[in-house]
Amino acid sequence: MRRYVLNRLWQGAVAVVGALFIVFVAQRLSGDPVALLLPMDATEADFEAMRQALGLDRPLPVQFVVFLRDALTGDFGHSYLWNMPAMDLVLERLPATLELALAGLVFALALAVPLGVLSAVHRGGWIDNAAKLFAMLGQAMPGFWVGLLLIVFVAVQLQWLPAYGRGTVGHLILPAIALGWYPVAAMTRTLRSSMLDILQSDFVRMERAIGLPERAIVWRFALRNAAVPLVTLIGVYFANMLGGAFVIEVVFAWPGVGRAVVEAVFARDFPVVQAGVILAAVIFVVVNLIVDLTYGLIDPRIRHE
Amino acid sequence: MAILSVKLHAAAPPPMHGISVAPFLLGVAFAGLLAAAAEAEEIVVAFGAEPTQVEPTRATAGVDAYFVSLFYEQLLNVDPELERINWLAESWSFDRAGADHVLSVTLREGVKFHNGDTLSAHDFRFAYERQRDPMSRAAGRFRYVRDLVVHDDRRFAIVFDEPDAAFVPWNLALWAVPRRHFEAVGEVGMQMHPVGTGPWKFVSRKPREELVVERFEDYWNAGAKPRAKRLVIKIIPEDTTRVAAFKTGEVDWIDAVPPAQVQAFSRIPGVRTVSLPGPNNLYIGMHATDPRHPLADVRVRRAVAHAIDVDAIVEYVVHGQGIRTAQLAPGSVGYDAALEPYPYDPDRSRALLAEAGYPRGIRVNCYNLTTPREPNIKEVGEAVFAFLSAAGIRCRIEQMEYGAWINLLRVASRPRMDGIISAMWGHGLPADPTDAWSGHLHTSTDAWGRNSYHSDPMFDGLVESLRTTMDPGARYRLATRIARLKHEQVAGGLPTYRPMISLAWRDKIAFRPWPAAGWRSMYEIDLAR
Repeated sequence: MRRYVLNRLWQGAVAVVGALFIVFVAQRLSGDPVALLLPMDATEADFEAMRQALGLDRPLPVQFVVFLRDALTGDFGHSYLWNMPAMDLVLERLPATLELALAGLVFALALAVPLGVLSAVHRGGWIDNAAKLFAMLGQAMPGFWVGLLLIVFVAVQLQWLPAYGRGTVGHLILPAIALGWYPVAAMTRTLRSSMLDILQSDFVRMERAIGLPERAIVWRFALRNAAVPLVTLIGVYFANMLGGAFVIEVVFAWPGVGRAVVEAVFARDFPVVQAGVILAAVIFVVVNLIVDLTYGLIDPRIRHE
Repeated sequence: MAILSVKLHAAAPPPMHGISVAPFLLGVAFAGLLAAAAEAEEIVVAFGAEPTQVEPTRATAGVDAYFVSLFYEQLLNVDPELERINWLAESWSFDRAGADHVLSVTLREGVKFHNGDTLSAHDFRFAYERQRDPMSRAAGRFRYVRDLVVHDDRRFAIVFDEPDAAFVPWNLALWAVPRRHFEAVGEVGMQMHPVGTGPWKFVSRKPREELVVERFEDYWNAGAKPRAKRLVIKIIPEDTTRVAAFKTGEVDWIDAVPPAQVQAFSRIPGVRTVSLPGPNNLYIGMHATDPRHPLADVRVRRAVAHAIDVDAIVEYVVHGQGIRTAQLAPGSVGYDAALEPYPYDPDRSRALLAEAGYPRGIRVNCYNLTTPREPNIKEVGEAVFAFLSAAGIRCRIEQMEYGAWINLLRVASRPRMDGIISAMWGHGLPADPTDAWSGHLHTSTDAWGRNSYHSDPMFDGLVESLRTTMDPGARYRLATRIARLKHEQVAGGLPTYRPMISLAWRDKIAFRPWPAAGWRSMYEIDLAR
């Protein structure tokens, strides 16, 4: 087990450096940040001086090695625009992103688990059809559009909840629904299929034969066995929510990491983009590792050798 | 904004057991009144765009002025009637001293910085050194300046090699920065906690979320002092969300009302809206420096001018929120009422192309800005290129976000623009084209012709003269002449319209727009009494 974890961490480190390299090269191909930093009447000499000051005049491999060397000592560079350490700029937004992603995940699970289970138990019935319709709508409606609808109806028309920003629990509800909306569909469908398989299995027939209550069979035994693919999805979507909630963050003016990094991409603020990519890649690696380790807890037949 | 929590408090007071409820309720009511009074002193406003730099020497983009003007001030200012007025300067004059041209400035007495330091001429000497540093964003403004000499605490002189008329539209270019404080806290300290002489004092900032400021009690200008005690500036980039926050009452004032909603906003009871001409002028830039390129031929450029129905674009794409211009809008230096925009005439456009040797039209690269630096700017560019294509100037459209677009527009960076570009130039308020025309018309690729795709020695001489002509009457006549020649030659770009800026606020707010920061200057803002 220990060896497995160490091996995965090593692979994860390689993945982080690989992702960073791709972004490092891609963003430098996207254009020169200096034009955004200098005034309109800057001369070609001013451009050169600024590139030199920022180290952008060096060959790309040299820039990458220097960046990696500094990163290993905890120095991820300073934001070109904000004049503060890039990693600080990203990390100070992490709590907001974590809060939103967790709330979105809770919303998604709170809907997907009962819907998935009930639609499998009542296969072909009205609950199943309603769940399928809901899942279809979930996949057809993008989160940002759901977000705008929620703002217009719940915040503006009904005035039940705030339209934007972060602060109280009330501020969290609408963006969490918008963020969790899409995963509900996929989770519901996955759990339904998995539950259908499990409910046909020998051990469930055995439990029924010995007279266990149906409620206990479904919710205690079948659901636990059907949860493995759901856990995989939870890992994927949670990591996506942490790293890719940009659109929802913009719609609700939520001060999260995604918004900071995407805005940095447009501003060619390379250090902030790099810090954001490192953070996102580490989160992906860690979440996926946790998911893999969780399999063993849910299903003891799965062992990591 | 605590909408939910306020409702919850009102609906569910804590249960009371065994004691009289009345004193508690009185206490709650009193506390509520105190809270309401405190809240009443606070105004919440929402901006669509967020500045990154709040220190004037480092400011680059127009949006940076939104925050800079809260904290920092210049020697001159522009009032709501667009009159240039003395601000931190009590008096100033341009004089000759032998071969030199000298701008002599006397500062007002008793102006304080937010940290309590008194403003002195030495602070301007410090600001001058910072601003003309090559790494400063404002170094080009001191092109003709040789030195700044401090005479005493209130008097200093700027010595020019050549007179510089652009110095006046820049409000004499310098910003008041507290020397001693800056030396104590450094660059990062000033960025994190700005200290100026402006009407608002910094309280806190969360990038991409909010800026909180409070009224500067020792502000020198009682007439322009904000009466609201505290101002919370929220950053809400998404139009729908910003509008929703205003409609739900979470914010009291909003910037950049979307053009399609301006009419609807003006009909909302208890809401005031205003649409004002902004400090930008949209134009169509054309690559005319390569003699082999069709756009080097003035007939082709005129064909471009006749091919675009700008009136239709203003009416339908920006919902009337624009002022059509031939070269300059009324009130600008050099405005000539007799100069009419090119009429929309696609047949004339095709005839001009044929006359220039392109009877079957031409194909050009057309570059469009997609980042919303002005309302509906992407759609405006697409409409322009559609009109051009319909008249035989077939566009290969490339959509560009701001970073790539600005790289292309500036001749000092690579790659360079090789076709037609949808662009805008800032001419300030009140509008003065001196600096912008130099950038658009001068042949050199240095600061003079920083985004010029035109080359003509006549224009080079004219814009250089405009820069050094100080007499207001002579400057106006020269600017009028350049405008006419520029119009006839379709040189340095084809101006289209001047976008309007729309702001909205509730009746409970008393707000008078000042033109600094594109009418977003928060001098006269208060709760209506």
